[in-house]
Amino acid sequence: MKKIQKALALMLALCMVLALSACGGDTPAESKAPEASKAPDTTPTEQGGEPADDVELLWWAPPTFIQDADDPAGTYEQKLVEEFNASHPGITVRVETIDFTTASDKITTAIESGTAADVLFDAPGRIIEYGKNGKLVSLDDMFTDEFKKDVGNDDLLTSCQGNGTYYMYPISASPFYMAINEKMWTDSGAIEHVNLEGNRAWTTDDFEKAIEKLAAAGYNPGVLFCSGQGGDQGTRAFIANLYDGSVADGEKYTFNSDAMIQGLTKAQEWINKGWLGNGVQYNGGGSIELFAAGTTAFEFCWGTSAAGNNAATMESNGVTPISLPFPSADGKPVLEYLVNGFCVFDNGDAAKAEASKTFIKWLCDNTENVTRTGAFPVLQSMGNLYPGDAEKELLVEFTKMYGPYYNTMDGFANMRAQWFDMLQKITGGGDVTELANAAVEASNAGMAG
Amino acid sequence: MAKTPARLNSHALKRHETVVAYLFMLPALFFFAAFVILPMVMGVVTSLFNYTMKNPVSAETFIGLKNYIDLFQDKTFLRAMLNTLILVVVTVPAVTLFSLWVSSAIYQMKEGVRSFFRCVFYLPVVTGTVAVVVVWKWMFDGYSGILNYVLSALGLIDKNIMWLGDTRFAIWCIILIMFTTYVGQPIVLYVAALGNVDQSLVEAAQVDGATDLQVFWKIKWPQVMPTTLYIVVITTINTFQCFSLIQLLTSGGPEGTTNTVMYYLYTNAFSLYKYGYANSMGVVLAIIIAILSAIQFKVMSKDVSY
Repeated sequence: MKKIQKALALMLALCMVLALSACGGDTPAESKAPEASKAPDTTPTEQGGEPADDVELLWWAPPTFIQDADDPAGTYEQKLVEEFNASHPGITVRVETIDFTTASDKITTAIESGTAADVLFDAPGRIIEYGKNGKLVSLDDMFTDEFKKDVGNDDLLTSCQGNGTYYMYPISASPFYMAINEKMWTDSGAIEHVNLEGNRAWTTDDFEKAIEKLAAAGYNPGVLFCSGQGGDQGTRAFIANLYDGSVADGEKYTFNSDAMIQGLTKAQEWINKGWLGNGVQYNGGGSIELFAAGTTAFEFCWGTSAAGNNAATMESNGVTPISLPFPSADGKPVLEYLVNGFCVFDNGDAAKAEASKTFIKWLCDNTENVTRTGAFPVLQSMGNLYPGDAEKELLVEFTKMYGPYYNTMDGFANMRAQWFDMLQKITGGGDVTELANAAVEASNAGMAG
Repeated sequence: MAKTPARLNSHALKRHETVVAYLFMLPALFFFAAFVILPMVMGVVTSLFNYTMKNPVSAETFIGLKNYIDLFQDKTFLRAMLNTLILVVVTVPAVTLFSLWVSSAIYQMKEGVRSFFRCVFYLPVVTGTVAVVVVWKWMFDGYSGILNYVLSALGLIDKNIMWLGDTRFAIWCIILIMFTTYVGQPIVLYVAALGNVDQSLVEAAQVDGATDLQVFWKIKWPQVMPTTLYIVVITTINTFQCFSLIQLLTSGGPEGTTNTVMYYLYTNAFSLYKYGYANSMGVVLAIIIAILSAIQFKVMSKDVSY
């Protein structure tokens, strides 16, 4: 009996040692790469530029590309990887899908433990933060004069930079705008105040008249959501446009300017009158759900992905959305936008960094991949990728309303926390000027890190 | 004095058994050390540094106790600590007393009925937090929530209430959800503990003319005290560590009224990348939990004998 116990104990100890060796050692490339995506063992081909030695890359892919029919998430990404691996001997890419909800935790933990992937798709907010903290490879060499000329939008190019270095290679961009419920606005007569021609720009006065009519007709107004930071770009754009204010001036946060305070005060007034919903219980996602379910009459956090993801819900609830830019005092709205792109983590391997750049350029410079993001190309040379699609053509007009991109400013994450906390207090009846001043002071103090 | 062969054999046997025992423990010990002890030590050490995504742990970033000094001057942290204490002070007694009350009522019922009640109360424990939150979110919804609907139908409110967005109600909503998800396990434990109470003592007391209250207070309560201690300690720790409910329901709002230490720690670590500062919060929280648990052990773990 004792002998059996000892033998078992020794076996367990041996297993432990083996497990440790397995954890610590490098896994051979052959065991990591799926059989189908293994690249032939040859030197560079006609594509040129690939490293001579085999390089294995890991791509972390949150839901980015629209999948075919009923394909599960990651199917299109896997096809792309297989295609790339076949056409780029010497580089083997492995894709791992992640979700946006847990992405931040996963990436932060991986960065600190030195296990980050090589390539990541994300928006500039986080990417530039990683870049400024020295975790990413500079992509300056990818932003050639020719490329910049093709983009032709300085604000968009700036969104890919942190401290003067390019960290994000963009694939597409898409505006954030608002949406109204056609039936509710028509029934209440509020639709009379909406400009449905051209780029649909309209004014704050028109909006005020419209929401008064909606309230009189008994419809629930859209909510100024502020339970958290999700979708907060919508509320910032809404408030900023009301009296042509701005959240930041490129150097510091300025949402305590006269124009912004006027906008915040007006919003508070509308909430008190019941013309605007108190959204302290909802974030952007919750607010979208209310709109898609036909509970509220308008929504400030709208975009191509929100429209696509909620299409079935809206259809079943009889909701037909009308896309609009935010109302502004002068009828010249300035919109916030999402830039989609890729970054390369600095894992201390120059060959991997170069291979990663080859991979992301291959991904981004492909029109089908751009349309798969459901957004618009950043390269003018790609032209109109959605001919005959009236909604997409309207959104192209919205892309001309892009404003300065402040999401890459220092202290952006801290500012977002200040913003929603301030809105909660304002919707609760607090002193607007005092709260805006305190929030801006804290936001600017947070820029120092 | 020379050792006899029998004693030598006995020592050798003991040593062998000890070695074997340690070898059996080795895998678990390794993982415990690697995933519990080491991170704890690292947490304490890095809390003494200005450790952020930009600044790694190094001699230049050593700041001693500055994180702790800042912590106790940070109004948001103090508010979060107060909220956490409110959650503990309300939830722990409520969960303990309610589960004891329910268990007392059901432990003598027929097996089928008892199992039914245990299942009902245990259901939220085995249901995923996200699913639980989705259901509660729907019930608390300001527009179409069932709570507003029922209260309106009863004529108790004339205007919908934003339960999770109202500074007066938000923390009580969190407490209610915590309460429903925490009572399952204590009920199961109490039913088992009450079933093990020595019936001869109960019968003797009844023969002596003790009332039901006296029987409970003098006979049953002392015998279920070890279970009570376990429930109180575990519920206290779980409540201090409340995070997912806050993240999924309120993000600490409105106006910081549901912000807890764990949630504030998380936002500092994963949104603001202030790892050192977040770790100092973790250390303070661990110390508070350890002190409270020690007090609970001291007060409640007295031996029971008759």
